This record gives sequence, C-alpha cells and structure tokens, in this order.
Amino acid sequence: MKENVASMIVFLLLLFLNIRLLKGQSPPGKPFIFKCRSPEKETFTCWWRPGADGGLPTNYTLTYHKEGETITHECPDYKTGGPNSCYFSKKHTSIWTIYIITVNATNQMGSSVSDPRYVDVTYIVEPDPPVNLTLEVKHPEDRKPYLWVKWLPPTLVDVRSGWLTLQYEIRLKPEKAAEWETHFAGQQTQFKILSLYPGQKYLVQVRCKPDHGFWSVWSPESSIQIPNDFTMKDITVWIFVAVLSTIICLIMVWAVALKGYSMVTCIFPPVPGPKIKGFDTHLLEKGKSEELLSAFGCQDFPPTADCEDLLVEFLEVDDSEDQQLMPAHSKEHSGPGMKPTDLDPDNDSGRGSCDSPSLLSEKCEEPQANPSTFHTPEVIEQPEKPKANVTHTWDPQTISLVGKMPYLSVNGSKSSTWPLLQPGQHNTNSPYHNIADMCKLATSLDKIDKDALQSSKTTEAAGEEKATKQREVESSHSKAEQDTGWLLPKEKPPFISPKPLDYVEIHKVNKDGALSLLLKQKENGDQTGKAGTPETSKEYAKVSRVMDNNILVLVQDPGAQNVALFEESTKEAPPSPSQNQAEKDLSSFSTAPSDCRLQQGGLDYLDPACFMHSLH
Amino acid sequence: PLKTWSHQAGSLLLLLVSNLLLCKSTASLPICPSGAVNCQVSLRDLFDRAVILSHHIHKLSSEMFNEFDKRYTQGRGFITKAINSCHTSSLSTPEDKEQAQQIHHEDLLNMVLRVLRSWNDPLYHLVTEVRGMQEAPDAILSKAIEIEEQNRRLLEGMEKIVGQVHPGIKENEIYSVWSGLPSLQMADEDARLFAFYNLLHCLRRDSHKIDNYLKLLKCRIIYDSNC
Repeated sequence: MKENVASMIVFLLLLFLNIRLLKGQSPPGKPFIFKCRSPEKETFTCWWRPGADGGLPTNYTLTYHKEGETITHECPDYKTGGPNSCYFSKKHTSIWTIYIITVNATNQMGSSVSDPRYVDVTYIVEPDPPVNLTLEVKHPEDRKPYLWVKWLPPTLVDVRSGWLTLQYEIRLKPEKAAEWETHFAGQQTQFKILSLYPGQKYLVQVRCKPDHGFWSVWSPESSIQIPNDFTMKDITVWIFVAVLSTIICLIMVWAVALKGYSMVTCIFPPVPGPKIKGFDTHLLEKGKSEELLSAFGCQDFPPTADCEDLLVEFLEVDDSEDQQLMPAHSKEHSGPGMKPTDLDPDNDSGRGSCDSPSLLSEKCEEPQANPSTFHTPEVIEQPEKPKANVTHTWDPQTISLVGKMPYLSVNGSKSSTWPLLQPGQHNTNSPYHNIADMCKLATSLDKIDKDALQSSKTTEAAGEEKATKQREVESSHSKAEQDTGWLLPKEKPPFISPKPLDYVEIHKVNKDGALSLLLKQKENGDQTGKAGTPETSKEYAKVSRVMDNNILVLVQDPGAQNVALFEESTKEAPPSPSQNQAEKDLSSFSTAPSDCRLQQGGLDYLDPACFMHSLH
Repeated sequence: PLKTWSHQAGSLLLLLVSNLLLCKSTASLPICPSGAVNCQVSLRDLFDRAVILSHHIHKLSSEMFNEFDKRYTQGRGFITKAINSCHTSSLSTPEDKEQAQQIHHEDLLNMVLRVLRSWNDPLYHLVTEVRGMQEAPDAILSKAIEIEEQNRRLLEGMEKIVGQVHPGIKENEIYSVWSGLPSLQMADEDARLFAFYNLLHCLRRDSHKIDNYLKLLKCRIIYDSNC
C-alpha cells in the first residue's frame, strides 16, 4: 500500500512537471511581410519576418489571391528567395494586378496569420545593378585623353523589347578621395569622362533605374590607373617658367625696397608743414644759405667785395649811461631798416624792429652800452677791450644767435644766455638780422647791465662787455656743416677796465667769408672801412679758445700777443664759481679736440659746434 | 497640340525629297502601305512624342495619387476596397509581357486608344470636382488639369499613328464608360474620398499601362525589338 501511494505521488509530481513545461509553449507570433521586390517586372519575391516562434517548431505558409479572382493560391516557391521568402515566377506573376498576400505561422500550439499585404508588381520594380563594367583610357589624336566607361544592363532585365526602360548613373573618384563624382548617363550604356587627374588610380561604379521604379544598388568597383600625361618636356617648361617668375618677383621686391620711399613719396607726397613765407627750413639745414636767402629776395651772401662798404658798421659802446649808441649806417645798405623807421613794411616777416613801441622804449632809451642795439643787421659786434681786436670769421653757416654776458658771472648772478634763436626763427633777409631778437636781447642785456652796475658801481664793465652776438647767415653754397661761428664777446669781468672802449671795426669780409676786424685807431672810427691797409690792421682770424658758453676768443693770427693778454685777463679775474667753471671750460677747450679745427684758407677755425657738443 | 500635329503632317511633303536621299537602313516596316519613305521618319517622331507624353502622364498620375493618399486617406485601408473597381478592367488588356508581345501591334494600338478614350470623361470631371473640393489642394488640382490636357494630346497623336500604321480601317470607337461621377459628388465625406481615391488609383494604373504598351510598340515598330 505504501509503495503504491509513493509511486502515485511520484507520478503526480511528474505529471505536474510535465504540465508546467507544456504551459511554457505558445502559439507563434504574427509574422510580418516586410518586403516584396521584382527585378525585371516579370517575377517577384516577398520576404516575411517571423514572429515569436513560441518555443515550438513553426511552419510558415504563404497564401495569396489576386484582384478579380476568388481562388486562393499558395506560394509556389519558398526556396529561391531564401529563408522566409516566396518567389513568384513568371507564370504566377501578373502586372497591373493587386496581390493580396498573407503568411500563416503554425505550430503545435496554434497558428497566427499576418496582416495581408497588397502588392502590385507594377510599383515594386528594383533591378539588379548593371554588369560588365569596363574602363578604358583612350588617347585620340589632337585631343585630350579621356576615360571611356562601358557597361551592360543587368541580365534579367528585358530592355530590347522595351518592356523596361533603364536609366543609368555612374560615379567615380580617385582612389584616395573622399567624395564621389556622380554623372547621369541617361539610357546609354557608355560614358566619356574628360576631366581626369593624370597618374591617379580611379574607382568607378554604375547603377540603373527603371522608368518607374527604384534605383538598383551600385555595381562592384572597377579601377583603372590613369597614365601620367606630362612629358618631361612639359615639366621642364614649367620649371623654367616657375624659376623665371621667381626671379622677377625678387627683382621687383628689391626695387621696391630700394626705391620704396621715393615711390611712396611720389604716390603720397608728404604733406608740407606750415612754412614761413619765403623761408625754407630744409635749405637752412642743408646749409644752402644762398638759396634760402634768395627766397627772400636777398642779395648774395656772403657779400662779395662789392659789399665791403656795406659792412662798415660798427657800434660805439660806452660805459657811460649817457652815451648813446650810434649805429653806423652802411651806405649802400639796401634793405630794411637802418633806422627803425626805414623798415620795409613789406618785408617784415618775423623780423621785429625797434619800431615796435615796447621795444623801442626799452632799447632806444637806454643809452647803456648795450651792444644789442643793432641797427645794422649785418654784424653785431661788441667793442672789446683795448686788446680786443677781434676778427671773427664769418662762418657762413647756420644762423644762430647766442651770446652771453661774461660779467654776469662775476657778479655771481646767473649769466644770461642770449636766447638761442633757432634757425627757423631767422626769417630775416640776409644780411639783416632779427631785430626783434636783438632788441629782446638788448633789453635783457640792459637789465643785466643794470644789475651789474648796481652791484658793482666801481666797475665800469657795464658797458664794456657786450655779448656779441653773431649772426651768421647762411651764405655759401657749401652744404654740410652747420657750424656756427661765433663772434666773440667773451670778455669777462677781468677785462673790465677803466680804459676807454675800443672799437672793433669790421674791415672787410673776405671772399671766403672771413671777417676782418680792425682795431679802431681813432675815436671816430673809420666809417667807410674801405679796404684799409691790411698791414696796419690786425686780422683776428684765429680762435684761441671758447669761453663760457658760446664765446669764442679770437686771436690775432700772426701773434700770440693778444693771446697772452687774454690769458692774463683771465687769470686776473676774481674767482667766482662761474669763473672757475669758465676756467674749467677753457681748460677743456684749450685742449679742444683737434678735429674741431678746421682749415680753411690758411685760417684756423674752430668749429664751435664741437664745443657746443662737448659743453652740453 | 493640334497645331503641332498639323505641322507634323505638313512637313511630310518637305521631308519627302530629303528623306529619299538620307534614309537608308531602317527597320523594314510593313506598316507604311504607300511605301513612302517619309512615313518612317514621321512615325518615329510620332512615337517618340507619344512615349514622352505617356511617360509624363504616368509620372504626374503617380505623384497625384501619392499626394492625395498622404493627405486624405493615409492609413485608412482604402486599398482594400479598391479591388477590381476600375471601369477599364472590362477592356481585355494584356496582363504581362508575354501576353503583350503576343498581341499584334495593331490590336495593341487599338487597346491604347480605347483606354485613352475611356479616360476622357473621368479626367474632365476629376478636374471640376477637385476644384470644387473645400481647401482645393493646388498641387493635386494643377496635376489633374495637366493630365487632362496631355491625355487629349496623346489621344490625337495616337490617332495619327494609327492612321499611319493602319490607314483606312476605322474601327468602332470602343471604350469603357465611366459612371463614377455620382460617387465623386456624394455628400458623405468618406464615400467621396474613397471615390477620389479609387479614381486616382485607377488612373495611375491605366497611365502605366499605356506607357508600357507604347514603349513596347515603339521598340517593336521603330527599332525592330532592338531598343
């Protein structure tokens, strides 16, 4: 009994297990017909996708019926199209007819039917790709070579009878290129490609499309190597052309670099800056004094021998306050203003005159030995000490006006520096000087003079020392140096003496522009100053040294007599800081750089510009 | 269209002399009874033009159907009802290539004529009815208008071809009568839409048929089945 119960229980258990296993199976899922295609509009194939098979082997059947018929057919061929397919042969294919196709999936548990698919073969035509793709490079005479592409329609398609009309498309690319180049070929089965890169390997593909259907897939690639077209001769020609053009480019660049500035100025002329009428700074800088002055309508400068009479000018400077300056007139002085009133009203550019009321009052009223009371524009010369026969040489270079009052240094007061007139400020005609500047200087000088007088009444130096300003006008055609010659006033306080003042007379101006100064023998001075006997006059042509700033010590050429005098005077000077300074300067100047010496016509000139540079 | 065809006929005399010299090897055509050489040339032109027209008509019809379906009847399964509902199905036209190749070219030409004639009336009404639709779709309407015009032209050309290929014999003008007009004018929107759908579906099919037949005929007649 118990054994039976046990076996019963086992049996039941096994039964339960079997039942459970059986419950895991299910009828198949619904299949789905996903594609039907006809390659030539004479046959077609449908493919389906099976649903879940439910764990059991499933049988699929395809059934269909046609439009206008009631008979249901089954798929004639399950094999040709592959798994899960149905192939309809010619016999079973009708065009312009709707097929209603369904697929049955059956398994042990059950079956399921797919949704019917309505298929009209007319609209599902998709041919195979074309076949026999051949490539050939043709080299016709007198023409560029081209690629000739040929192919044949797919084998199944009947084009001859006109049942299907195909249109073709080819594409090609160089092997390494990324993009295809597509060409529509129409209904022809050949194509010529003209634009090719020589030496490249090309890949070509072709596909086709029926008149009312789908494009086929691309055919397999065909490749061809394009022969290199360029002959050695062509390459040589191109290399030659490249080299030639490179050379031309380099030449052009070089020419532009050299002449670039002039070309640029030719195209874009520089905008002229404001100019004083008739005055050209560039000429001034270049030392073309003649041209510069000619712009003003000046006479030649330096004055020739004819102008000697012009230069007989001198100033009498007296330490007495009462004494007036008596400007000497040159006879043939042409040009503006010997006197303030004679100023040429038209030629007033930049040139002040003592006519100006303010200046006039200041200068003309002060009878002090104001060396700056200049009426004669030619040369302002300071009467020197008895020994101060100074000849200065015109250094016909740039105009500059610098002067200094040596005795100021004695007083400890600051030596005033004559305002440095820039070349640009000299808009006067040669040989006229800038009266206004002169007057200003005169006024400043006056003040200084007054101070000096006040401080040291004992000294009569007030009138003695004058800063001589020398203006030098550009006269010569010589270019180059912008030397400034200085007329010396250098005298220092040591030179102050109670002696009566001496006058230095401008004797003449040499042709080479050297001023010859004469020590005035008489009180009245030699007015005309015609070429006096040179023997009696001492020519001061040598610059011994430069004192302070901008003061040249001119020395009589033949002898060192005056030099000695000067030097003594220097030593006598009461020491003062500035004096020491001046000594230092002198000492430094005495060893003036030899290169500052200029040789010109037997006369030694020191280029003050050198000193200037060393000073400043 | 009428002018074009008459111009063609008028040029026959002009071409006569030149064609005598130029025409050499062409497909020997038994279809020009008078034996005039110019017959072939003009026939070729006629066929070329006919094929161009038929191809164009089918292309337009296909586009029109697709647009209509997409816009109005997509997913509504109208196709299931449009089975065997074309009025021209009574015309026994060949259903595959073998049948078409077996039929004689004259009969095939006649079939083309019959189908073309059968569509005169429906196309005319299609235009008027599409115009009357609310929100008349411009694309569909313009295509309908053009199809109607081209169809008329094609019909004329085909009659000329038949006159050349088969002169003298004038067959009865057989065609299928279309009676779908009331359906197009139905009040029921769904029924009306289906009527349109059906009409366009049939138009697409028949235009394809005509195109296919004419291409077959052209290759057979002009190129001796060697297209």
